[in-house]
Amino acid sequence: MVDVLTLVERGVRRAEALGATEAEVYAVREGSLTVMGSVRGVEGAEGGESVSVYIRVAVGKRLSVQGGLVSGVGDVDTIAESAVKIARASPEDPNWASLPKRLGSTPTFDLVDSAVKSLEPERFVELVKRSLEIPKELDKRAFASEASVRASVVVKAIGNSHQPPVSCEQTVFDFGVEVKAVEDGFESGFYSYYVAPTLREFRLEKEVEYATRVAVETLRAKRVGTGVYQVLLMPRVFSSVLGALLVPAVRADMVQKKRSPLVGRLYSQVLSEQLTIVDDGAVPNMPGSTPFDDEGVATKRKVVFDRGVLRTYLYDTYTANIDNRESTGNAKRMGASNTYPDATNILVLPGTSSLDSLVRDMNRGIVVHGTIGEWLSNPVSGYLNATVTHGFLVEGGEVKQAVKGVVIAGDAYKLLKEGLAALSKEAEAIVNYIVPAVLLSGVSVAGE
Amino acid sequence: MSLSLDLGKEVLGRALDRGADEAVVRLQERVYELIVFDSGVLRSYSVLRVVGLGVEVLVSGFVGYAYTSTLSRESIGQAIDKAVKLAKALSARGREVGLARVEGVKALYRTRYAQNPLEVDPSEKASLVRDLNTVAMGVGGIVSAVTRLGCEVDKRVVVSSLGAEAFSEVVAVGISNLSVARFGEVMERVSDQKTFIGGYESIKSFDWSSFVEDISKLAVKASQAKTPPPGAYRAVIDNELIGLLLHEAFGHATEGDLVMYRASVLCGRLGERVAGDLVTIVDDGLAKGGYPVAFDDEGVAKRRTVVVESGVLKSYLTNRRASHELGVEASGNARAQDTTFKPIVRQTNFFMLPGDARVEELFEGVSEGIYLRGRSAMGGQVDPAVGTFTFSIGPSYMVRGGEPAELVRGVAVSGNILETLMNVELVAKDLLVIPSVFGGCGKDGQVVRVGFGGPHVRVSKIIVGGG
Repeated sequence: MVDVLTLVERGVRRAEALGATEAEVYAVREGSLTVMGSVRGVEGAEGGESVSVYIRVAVGKRLSVQGGLVSGVGDVDTIAESAVKIARASPEDPNWASLPKRLGSTPTFDLVDSAVKSLEPERFVELVKRSLEIPKELDKRAFASEASVRASVVVKAIGNSHQPPVSCEQTVFDFGVEVKAVEDGFESGFYSYYVAPTLREFRLEKEVEYATRVAVETLRAKRVGTGVYQVLLMPRVFSSVLGALLVPAVRADMVQKKRSPLVGRLYSQVLSEQLTIVDDGAVPNMPGSTPFDDEGVATKRKVVFDRGVLRTYLYDTYTANIDNRESTGNAKRMGASNTYPDATNILVLPGTSSLDSLVRDMNRGIVVHGTIGEWLSNPVSGYLNATVTHGFLVEGGEVKQAVKGVVIAGDAYKLLKEGLAALSKEAEAIVNYIVPAVLLSGVSVAGE
Repeated sequence: MSLSLDLGKEVLGRALDRGADEAVVRLQERVYELIVFDSGVLRSYSVLRVVGLGVEVLVSGFVGYAYTSTLSRESIGQAIDKAVKLAKALSARGREVGLARVEGVKALYRTRYAQNPLEVDPSEKASLVRDLNTVAMGVGGIVSAVTRLGCEVDKRVVVSSLGAEAFSEVVAVGISNLSVARFGEVMERVSDQKTFIGGYESIKSFDWSSFVEDISKLAVKASQAKTPPPGAYRAVIDNELIGLLLHEAFGHATEGDLVMYRASVLCGRLGERVAGDLVTIVDDGLAKGGYPVAFDDEGVAKRRTVVVESGVLKSYLTNRRASHELGVEASGNARAQDTTFKPIVRQTNFFMLPGDARVEELFEGVSEGIYLRGRSAMGGQVDPAVGTFTFSIGPSYMVRGGEPAELVRGVAVSGNILETLMNVELVAKDLLVIPSVFGGCGKDGQVVRVGFGGPHVRVSKIIVGGG
């Protein structure tokens, strides 16, 4: 089995020997198991192991990144040679200062689960089988059309010319179930999912029950008229909206390239005073947690919006050097790319009202459990566009009908400042977000 | 060990020796080079290499799949053992599956090209991207621009116990540009790309300066435009957008795995009317102008599949399993991003066939409507179980008095795809199918290259959300 630390040390040495003034190697070994089921039963299992290596080199201020899946240790030499060759032929990057000078690890907890790590199929086959059975037991109109479990174990190491490598091991458990409901020619479906490093907080019944309930209750959903409504975004939807609009806007690279509406807004009141938003790379049992980021800088906790005031952007080393700041430990990389800053885990501090009371107090509004297309909103302009797939019209505090097929739209910053009426006291963990529900007023809805 | 039919055949033999009743062996080597200039600075010159082997086995009716990126004899042996183990693990609690017995394809497909883009002097390529980025930034009102050159060589081998012995090499090159304009407090971005299936000679023969300059000019105009009033409109949809809309909102619903799982709005509707009379839709692996897929990752030949004919649903897209379960022909649509994934049902080049109308005819008679453009569309999302879709699209035009009028920005459209296809009133004769070397179609965490497009069409009603 290939040792990732060996790959890192070999790659750095090789690149330096070829003339790189700085070299960084990021090596990952990943083993995975996926079990899939459908309305017909548990039907497939797949697994395997891959090793990837990415090498970033600087020859002065000339840079290149190379890498990918490797078939043997010798591939590291080939990648290093190619990276140095292309860096020499590249124009200088005047903004380049250096690779990180200090690597480190933040203590983390609950990032490895022995059952997940085992990658033994039997337990996961049983889990998928059970998730296919539950919807029918709950409601005869419902059935699970698909369910899957993916377990993976990742061992990663990163080092550079300035520092010896850091390494860690993490597991990821990923569950998803699609429940459909059918009655009298009406159909509805809802997808529920759960992602975390461990199985500690996973409740199969809760996930499947939620999907079943929403699918059944939205069977006869229809459009409502075009107009201005109150909108209660449930935590899953609110996290998607934050991911589509707010997180890209606080990335320092987007700000530096003037592709964020938050350019020049540091220390100003951007959002409602009710909103405090934290980025924390070391929350126990969260999939965005890791001891160090994708260039080996220790992860940190930072308040991004403090009672609505923008306190910091998210930095990797490259963007931090441009602003003469320290990296915030938010470096990410997507394959053979330079790093860029991005969120680790986003935490929104909850409010004081219960979800029930928020719904009771709605005059004319829509409770939104599911949307599609929110990720297509425009983070450059801050404009939200999302199509409601699963919602409920509330009038006078009472649910009147299920809603689908209407578009909610508006300037997200206005909605999250003047338009933010309340946050629920209940918060939910959704992949790398922990957020409450949010009640917005004055939302434009395009329907009939 | 390197990628070859001989290696594939050797691994196939080993898999059958270890107890597989049937097996498919895939090998892949893909190199993707990307040069990115961001506002005058080289942001990235990266090369991604993906190499690996995947083996799918059928053991007593149960399917297991395993992969390895390490091509040593030992690792390959472990992958074969794992595939067999996973298949056997399903035998206690799982369900047997049937696979259509389709004769494997014997094929050799290579993109014709004169100059391998990966062998062109790196400084020449970097200079071209830098110069184009300068052009994009040079238009007044532009605050930032990202220009990219993408070059890809994707080699695949598929060998199967049903006789497949297939090799393909697809070479693609392209340039994309994103320009961001600012007008007062409004920031607006416009992006576009153009891809050629071929070598670097295709890059040399195109006027890229005009291409990126046009993008920047459109971004500036869009930043000064208003958003359309939300509501329902009669709409003319251009070639690119109809392609995107069909791919996302209808194409996915025709994918046989979703149909099998009753997760598609088209489940059980073969032979039924699902679109207007003027609508005929095909999936064609070797469509002119599209992304070439001569065979799929199960070793089945990919030919033209007529999915909708004159508004009637004729077939689904299938892999061998969906073909068996649904009782329709195996259409050769089993595709995987790379060997770390098992192939699933995917589209290739999915598009509407052209009609008889001139494009101008589509605007005639529209007193008030909208001309929806695909250029700079960010993409879309669909719920294939019910057919709901939403798309964020590019700068578009209001239509007044039968002609395109003022530009509008931030347009999002949504609706139900079957309603929308029923509402097709006119289909033009200007077919366009395009590929992209920068993106593709995502499903279950896998991205594959596709081609999409169609003719201009007019629909009587679509919901527009402004933004």
